[in-house]
Amino acid sequence: MQLSFTSLIPLLPFFLSPVSASTAPAAADYHEQLNLKPLPQNSLLASFNFRSNTSLPEFEAHNFRFFPRSLGQILQHAGTRELHLRFSLGRWDAETWGARPWDGTKEGGTGVELWAWLDAESDAEADQKWLTLTNALSGLFCASLNFIDSTRTTRPVMSFRPEGDHPNTTMDNMHLLHGVLPREVVCTENLTPFLKLLPCKGKAGVSSLLDGHKLFDASWQSMAIDVKPVCPVGEECVLQIEQTIDMVLDIERSKRPRDNPIPRPIPGHELKCNTTKPYHAEDTCFPTDSLNAQEWTLDQIFGKHMLGNCPLTDPKTPPVCIQAPHSRDVFTSMDVQELKESGNENQRCYLLPSNEEEFHLALPFMPRDGDRPKTDADEFVQPATPLLYAERSLTGHGQEHGGVQAILTNPSPDSEVEFVYMESLPWFMRIYLHTLKARISHRTGSDAGQTLRDDDEVIQEIYYRPFLDRKRGTQLEIRMKIPPGSTVFMSYDFEKTILRYTEYPPDANRGFDVAAAVITILPSNSTAAAAAAVGKVARTSNLRTTGMLLNLPTPDFSMPYNVIIFTSTCIALAFGGLYNILVRRFVGRDEGPEVSLVKLRRRLQEAVQKLKGRIQEKLGVASKEAKKLEAKSD
Amino acid sequence: MAKDNSSLQATTGTAGLFVVAAALRLLLFTAFPGLPNLLTGRVEISTPVTSFKRLQEGLFLYNHNVSPYDGGVYHQAPLLLPLFSLLPDPSTYPIFTYILYILVDLLSANALYKIAESKEGAISRLYTSPRKEKRWSGYIVAALFLLNPFTIATCVGRPTSVFTTCAILHAVAKALSGNIFTSMLSLSFAAYLSMYPLLLLPPMVILAYDRTYNPKAPKSLGQLAGMCTLVVGGSLGLLFLSSYALTGSWEFLSSTYGIQLTLTDLTPNAGLWWYFFTEMFDSFRSFFLGVFWLHLSSYTPALTIRLRQQPLAVTTLLLGIFAIFKPYPSIADTSLFLSLVPCFRHVFPLLRYSFVTSSVVLYGTFLGPAFYHLWIYAGSGNANFFYAITLVWSLGLSLLVSDLAFAILRDEWEVERPEMRGKEIRQI
Repeated sequence: MQLSFTSLIPLLPFFLSPVSASTAPAAADYHEQLNLKPLPQNSLLASFNFRSNTSLPEFEAHNFRFFPRSLGQILQHAGTRELHLRFSLGRWDAETWGARPWDGTKEGGTGVELWAWLDAESDAEADQKWLTLTNALSGLFCASLNFIDSTRTTRPVMSFRPEGDHPNTTMDNMHLLHGVLPREVVCTENLTPFLKLLPCKGKAGVSSLLDGHKLFDASWQSMAIDVKPVCPVGEECVLQIEQTIDMVLDIERSKRPRDNPIPRPIPGHELKCNTTKPYHAEDTCFPTDSLNAQEWTLDQIFGKHMLGNCPLTDPKTPPVCIQAPHSRDVFTSMDVQELKESGNENQRCYLLPSNEEEFHLALPFMPRDGDRPKTDADEFVQPATPLLYAERSLTGHGQEHGGVQAILTNPSPDSEVEFVYMESLPWFMRIYLHTLKARISHRTGSDAGQTLRDDDEVIQEIYYRPFLDRKRGTQLEIRMKIPPGSTVFMSYDFEKTILRYTEYPPDANRGFDVAAAVITILPSNSTAAAAAAVGKVARTSNLRTTGMLLNLPTPDFSMPYNVIIFTSTCIALAFGGLYNILVRRFVGRDEGPEVSLVKLRRRLQEAVQKLKGRIQEKLGVASKEAKKLEAKSD
Repeated sequence: MAKDNSSLQATTGTAGLFVVAAALRLLLFTAFPGLPNLLTGRVEISTPVTSFKRLQEGLFLYNHNVSPYDGGVYHQAPLLLPLFSLLPDPSTYPIFTYILYILVDLLSANALYKIAESKEGAISRLYTSPRKEKRWSGYIVAALFLLNPFTIATCVGRPTSVFTTCAILHAVAKALSGNIFTSMLSLSFAAYLSMYPLLLLPPMVILAYDRTYNPKAPKSLGQLAGMCTLVVGGSLGLLFLSSYALTGSWEFLSSTYGIQLTLTDLTPNAGLWWYFFTEMFDSFRSFFLGVFWLHLSSYTPALTIRLRQQPLAVTTLLLGIFAIFKPYPSIADTSLFLSLVPCFRHVFPLLRYSFVTSSVVLYGTFLGPAFYHLWIYAGSGNANFFYAITLVWSLGLSLLVSDLAFAILRDEWEVERPEMRGKEIRQI
């Protein structure tokens, strides 16, 4: 049923055209774009962005237009004002790749992350709607979102702000709920429903490049769905859905042909050797670090061809852009119009003809030697430095106590950075907030990174909602300020809980996944002031640490019966022993009635005695007879 | 004059003992700065309902206006919070906490001294032991308590169970001195702190009754029991009300006492409950919780009735039972039990298994930490290693309890049958 509905959506505008022509906004309602950005170390960032919108009154009247009906109905049913859903895998290597795409606002922690603003009168109603929403989305996206229960749901206070434009009247009744499933493995079954929400469904346009084999083989990938109301100044409010896929491809890995996917050693004649090494010879080779020279074509790395334009897209938006210096050679197929923006030195976009021919894009090998040698600067744009580096790890050993340490570095030489660090931890990680410590090391100044000292200035504000066993997890939000060029080491202790044996997953000794910490970098005072002057709210940027794997002590799963029996025996022995002593009467050993066992022993002894007597008697008789015989024979 | 002299000597001797015990503890605290925190982390000493680290967390939350009972870490009585927030922060000035714990230990020893000196162990109102000459003085009993490694480890590990120990010993000491009201107040403090001492009420009432018995104007036991129950109920009510005023909600009831009833926190300890309920099937959990609590409380009426003549023996045996079968036992409970056992020096010759019990307890003491290490840190053993040791430990202690009960009963029996002294007997 759902299938037939969604497939109708592209046709809907045509059916509705007499009605909607007058009310529809002038701008086209669907945009899609692929942004390619070569990164150092043979990586390539591909950002797909699909955006469509429908005006709010039409949405209320169930005229969904390009807005996916299946999702729209869920949102209406669950009273969702704003929705953000993320499916992520891998780790963004900020040291090499620099700042994150979209300032990190379109990425999630490893696994599935969902947060939404729900329209509800009370917390209980919000919880009810949240349950509805997670269960419906779970079915729609083939993800275990229904496992986001009360222990995984938090209500962040400082970390998230609505991105859409909400009227003040609805703001009062909006409840923010946030849930993470760090253990969820994002895979092809999540991509298929994601593509189905698109008007062109992966059959044409840039979405035709998306393929599960390549997407989930990437070094890092994040699929995002954001639904929010947008009210442009002087125009009608629209409900906007933005679907984004960001992936960092390892080019060498992606170029591996599909029929021969197993990595094998490179044949000797194809090895690139460093000839400057003294031991370089015919049979010895030191492989060169030739990772930087990139050479690829679009269909090589995605494993598919791009099938022309999506006919529903806004014809003025170029579907493919590449961010590389203009000195980088880029070849495309015929009839493709190259647009170079005057303001942006490093951006080139390609407008495709409206026919449905395949689009080709090739970046040839640029030799680093020869008569016109190229450098890295010709090949890719130097990645921007992020505002903050963050990493988080577990400390300590053993399955009893542990600690978490987050290392947060402000790389900027002159401006401080303010952010909110949010952790939502499972209840079985019992954290001790009194052990929370922030120590700082300055990279510049008198002590230049030599010493760590406790600093009370770093932590500005803490919001803490402690866990309750089996009911809710810990929610910890810390607003921090790091001075320029400094590193903060934040740490706290926790205790590992032993669970009931039925609460462990089947592979208990693998450990439990702990969700990534969400860091929301607040706009600096100058940017906030500049934005306020234009009448906007300055945007925040995000970043997430990696998840953690927590090892808990495990009971022996094989012996519940044995334990029940042993413990019961122990108790019975103690109780029985004491009961005997309390209840029975004392008598002397030779007094009182005989116990059957003693009686039996005595009888046995008597019988033995009797038997002995008889045997002796017989023996006595026998010996007498023998004597008689002897006497006779004599 | 001679009597005064000896009592003076005894007082100076005890003072010397207290000084030595305090100095030993202070030395351990200061010479090994890592030791208090190491022992605080040991599961044999700190349980979820007594741990000092959890107390610090509760204190931190309390001082930052977060309700400590709205979280899963703090399960201790609310009145401990203002008491400890009066002290300077333990992480910066630990010496004040050390001194508090040493003082509490000395107070307990003092109460124990009085208990031993009252000779209640051998001579009660209704019963005089034929072996009453054989007894240890208060000095020896207090020394056995203060120099017991279990007591010292407990003091250094700083669990809040020492307050319960102190309150129970004072309740006994006050009942022995005929001070019923103070005794009941002390008992309700103990019950307020850890709930299970409430089961000590019947023997305590009998103890108080026996010690205040006036043959010329006999009062009824029922009347006294009613009065004591009222006093305990009233003071508990007052304590709860003040806790309510302090925290602003009744949440502390379920967090402090509910956890002992439902055992939601399964942190390993020296007792039998944690692994049993880790491995228990979900549908039987509530049934067995009921059975375990019923089992624990069934000893009180049984022992009180059978040993009516010796209420101090009932108290001692019950404390031994609690040290084995309560939901979150620790060696603090064992040391409380062991501290009262020397009051029954006269029955020691009647113990049948003293060698077996002492070796089993020693075996458990040494192998417990080793097997816990194998399970949690080395990874070369599993949970069954530690579980097996807790079984052995519990069996050893229960053997000691039943052996003591046997010895006390036989002693009682020999009053009727003096000719059976030293002869072999049996029970029918």
